[in-house]
Order: sequence, then structure tokens, then C-alpha cells
Amino acid sequence: MGKIKKIFRYDNVGILFVLPAFVYMLIFVGYPIIRNVILSFQDVTAANLVRGDKTFILFDNYRELFADSVFVTSLFNTLRYTVLCLVFQFVIGFLLALFFNQRFSFARPVRGILLVPWMIPVTVTALMFRLLFATDIGVINYILRSLHLIGENIEWLTTPGTAMFALICANVWIGIPFNMILISTGLTTIPKELYESASIDGANKIETFFHITLPLLKPTIESVLILGFIYTFKVYDLVYVMTSGGPVNSTHMLSTYSYKLSFEMFKYSKGSAVANVLLVILLIVGVFYIKATTKGEEEE
Amino acid sequence: MNEEKKVTKKKNILLSVTALLLLCVLLFPLYWAFITSLKTEQEIFQNPPTFYPHILNLKSYAAQVETGDFNMFRSFANSFLISLGATVIAVLLAVPASYGIAKYRFKARKGMLLSFLVTQMLPVSVLLTPMFIMFKNMHVYNTWISAVLADATIGIPFSVLILKNYFASIPKDLEEAAYLDGCNRFTAFVRILIPIAKPGVMVCAIFSFLYAWGDLAYGMTFILDQEKRPITAGIFNFMGQYGTKWSYLTAFAVVTIIPVALIFIFMQKYIVSGMTSGAVKG
Repeated sequence: MGKIKKIFRYDNVGILFVLPAFVYMLIFVGYPIIRNVILSFQDVTAANLVRGDKTFILFDNYRELFADSVFVTSLFNTLRYTVLCLVFQFVIGFLLALFFNQRFSFARPVRGILLVPWMIPVTVTALMFRLLFATDIGVINYILRSLHLIGENIEWLTTPGTAMFALICANVWIGIPFNMILISTGLTTIPKELYESASIDGANKIETFFHITLPLLKPTIESVLILGFIYTFKVYDLVYVMTSGGPVNSTHMLSTYSYKLSFEMFKYSKGSAVANVLLVILLIVGVFYIKATTKGEEEE
Repeated sequence: MNEEKKVTKKKNILLSVTALLLLCVLLFPLYWAFITSLKTEQEIFQNPPTFYPHILNLKSYAAQVETGDFNMFRSFANSFLISLGATVIAVLLAVPASYGIAKYRFKARKGMLLSFLVTQMLPVSVLLTPMFIMFKNMHVYNTWISAVLADATIGIPFSVLILKNYFASIPKDLEEAAYLDGCNRFTAFVRILIPIAKPGVMVCAIFSFLYAWGDLAYGMTFILDQEKRPITAGIFNFMGQYGTKWSYLTAFAVVTIIPVALIFIFMQKYIVSGMTSGAVKG
């Protein structure tokens, strides 16, 4: 009995190590989340933000949002943007991972350098892509013109459809290294013997890819896609710097629309409501992520 | 790994050339921004565009030292201070927390671990308004402290989740040997475990720094005065005011990338480990 008691006491000391970080997160993240939920049920604007009466109007904000065409557009924009980005960055990242998985002299150093786009501050990436997609001096227009694909310069960032395209390009550029490196790591975990025996059995490259590589990469692919979804779905800086939701609200995402409502129109409660919709969708996807990550935890 | 079949010499050259071509295509945006910062405004507007600066122009950098519009070096220093502060908080809190989670089986452990996982996926939008109100009440609104406090919330959960794997992989015998040598739990943690987990601590410090360095939303929302703002917010501000002064804008971009590039050059192995271990296994 004494022994059990000792172990019990030993383990409980552990919480003391965790508490400082936990309390910090509780104050600066936990409390704000709750505060945000409360805000979304109130009618807070610039007038009564810090002091003054705040009336509870319950679901009025949410009801109004779903009747608001900009909100509905941002919701669908966010979904469309996320799915398209995921498809392109995943496919390109996967192909690059396969390419650099071959043993040639430059494979490792070049793959390493390709991680740089992922590390650069998103504000800078947005600026670089604004330069590339600029109408008169943009190098993309220049290339397309030289190839005679277009006659006149395209106003990429001020035309609704093309602005979204430019955003997706920039995001895919950031996402490729992330997909590539995770899949590369996944590829190294596949035992080489499997490939050897497959080639003895006379399987060709395409067959081995579909029967060995893909199935064994399934856990990696799952986490790459789920994490990619989470990171892309909450996109803020990139869109805010590149288009600020324009032209005519056509590229607003949930995050940028929330920001606009709160900090440009000072409708804090409405902005909070938009942020909560974003949060709920992320949490639903997050459940899958947590399930995937805690699976390994049990085995430890 | 080495016994793996190597490609033939001819194929090696072919693949290496392809790799370099891919590199050029994928890093073109960076190259373009860099050479634009070295061109004169006149040359930037030249048609057809020049693919390297015909007249080398360093004014875009030099002008920043004198002019008052937007002092790039001051913003750089602000960013550096904010990122360093956030990194210190994140590492100081995350190191013991991850050790606690990795080595002890207390009751609230699972719940706490889960909450760190969840905070990692939160969108900034959810936190901005309530943090804004909170910082106003704490009287740190419009000071660099607000950005430090907010940026640390990105680094902490990431660091806890990464480091917990490092601590978990340290065998228990090592700790027990330390106790026999007269260490108590705390001194064993500081003297034995932290030094072993040092690569993990480096990963956490680097990523906490990078996250804070790249932040725009917090710095822009919680700090109002341009002279106190981080460089990302400065760039955004400048873009709104002088949207087409591309020589200046790209010079800001290059300066903002410098710390990232240095981290990349000198600490690349930590980057790979942070990107992979942080994501695949929480």
C-alpha cells in the first residue's frame, strides 16, 4: 500500500511542472474563447466596448449573419479556397517528395532549400505575390504576353475570379514545402524490403506505388491533409495583405470578414460571431486530427 | 541508407539538373523580390522587365536610415524584441510543462494535453477582440508587451507538443541514476534532462521565434503607433500608403527575410525536425 501511495504522490508532482504553461494559456487563450462566445451573443460596438451596458441579444447576430450575403460568400470562399489549395499543394508536394526520394547528389540539399517558402513571414509572401501579379509591371503578365497567351494585361488582383486564383497560387507556394517534407519523412518509414520483394514479384513502378507506397503512407497522408485543412481554413494574413477581401468582397474569408467587422466597422459582436463559426468548423475537423494523434499516445 | 541502390551516373546528372530547374522555378518569387529591391523605380517600370538590375540601386535600403515615413530598422528592432520576448516566455513555460506531461501520469494530464492540441488549431480571429479588450483593461494595449503576450500563445502549445516527445524518449534509468547521485527531482530535471533534450529545446525556440516574427494580426491590432509596431505591420501599413513604391517595399521584404535566412542557414536540421515531428505526431 505504501508503495502505491508513493507512486501516486510522485505522479501528482508532475502537474506542478505543467501548471505555469497551462495557466498562461488559460488566461490568454481559454478566457478569450469564452469571452468571444459571450461577445457574439451581445450587441457590443465601439460605443460600449470597454465600459457601458451590453445587452444580450442571443442568436440575433448569427441570424443576421446567415442573411448577410458577404458572410455567405466568405463561408463558401473559405471552403473553396481551402479545398483547391489542399489539392494542388498536396499533389505537387507529393510529386516533389517522390522526386527527391531518389538518390542523386543534389537531392537532399535542394529539398532543404525548398523549405524556405514555408518559413518566410506570410506578409512578405503576400507582398511578393502582389508584385508578381501586378498589372503593369507584373512578371506573370509579361510571361503570358510573351507566350501570346494574352493580348492585354490582366488585372489579377482587382478582378473577382482572378484575385482568388492569385491567392490560391500564393498559398500553394507556402504549402508545397510542408506537404513535401511530411510525405518525404513518411516515405523513409516504408521498409525497403517491401519494394525489393515487389520487384522480384515482377510489379512495375505504378503497381508498387498503388499497392505499397500509398497504403503505407495512409497515416501520413491523413495528418498532412487534416493539418493542411486547419492551417488553410484559418488563413488570415495572406488574404488580408494581398486583397483585403476585395475586389467588392469577392475574396473575403471568414477570418478577414471577421476582422473587417470588428476592427474596421467596429461591430465587435458580429465579428466574434463570424469567428465562432470559423472555430466550430475547425473544431469539427480538429476532432479527426486529435483522434489521429492520440492513437499513438495510447501505445506509448 | 547508404546501401540503397544509387542511380547511374548519367541519371544522376539528369536528376540533379532537373532538381536545380525546380529550385529556380519555385524560388523565383524570392529572386524577383530581391532584384526588384536593387533596381531603380524607373527600371522596375521598364517594359520588357529586366531579369537582373542593370543599374545597381542601393538607395531603397539607404533611404530607410534617414527618412521618417517608415523606419525599417526601428521596425526590425521592434520585431526582434517582440519575437525574443515571446520565445523566452514560450521556452521557459513549455520546457517544464512538456517534462511534466512526458514523465508523470497525473489525473488532469490527458485533459491538459488535449487543451494544448486544441489551442494549436485556433484561428487568430477568435482571440483578437477579447484579447484587445483584455489588453486595454491591463493597460498594455499599444505597447510591445501586448504583442509578446499574444505571440507566446502560438509558441507554447507547439513547444509543449514537440518537447514532450523528446523527454518521453529519455530512459528512466538516467533519471534514477541522477537520484542515486544525490539529485532531487528538480535538479535532475535541470542538470540531466534538459541538456539531453537540448535539440528539442532549440527546435522550440526557433519555431516560437519564427511564429512571432511572422505574426501580423497581433502586432497590427494591439499596437497602434507605427514606431512601436513590428516590421510586418510596418510593411502592411506602407503598402497601403505607398502601394506602388516597389523598390522600398521589396527592400522591406528582403530585410524581413534576413533573420529567417540566417536561421535556415545555420539551423536547418532543427527546421526539418520541427516541421515533421510537430505535425505528424502531436
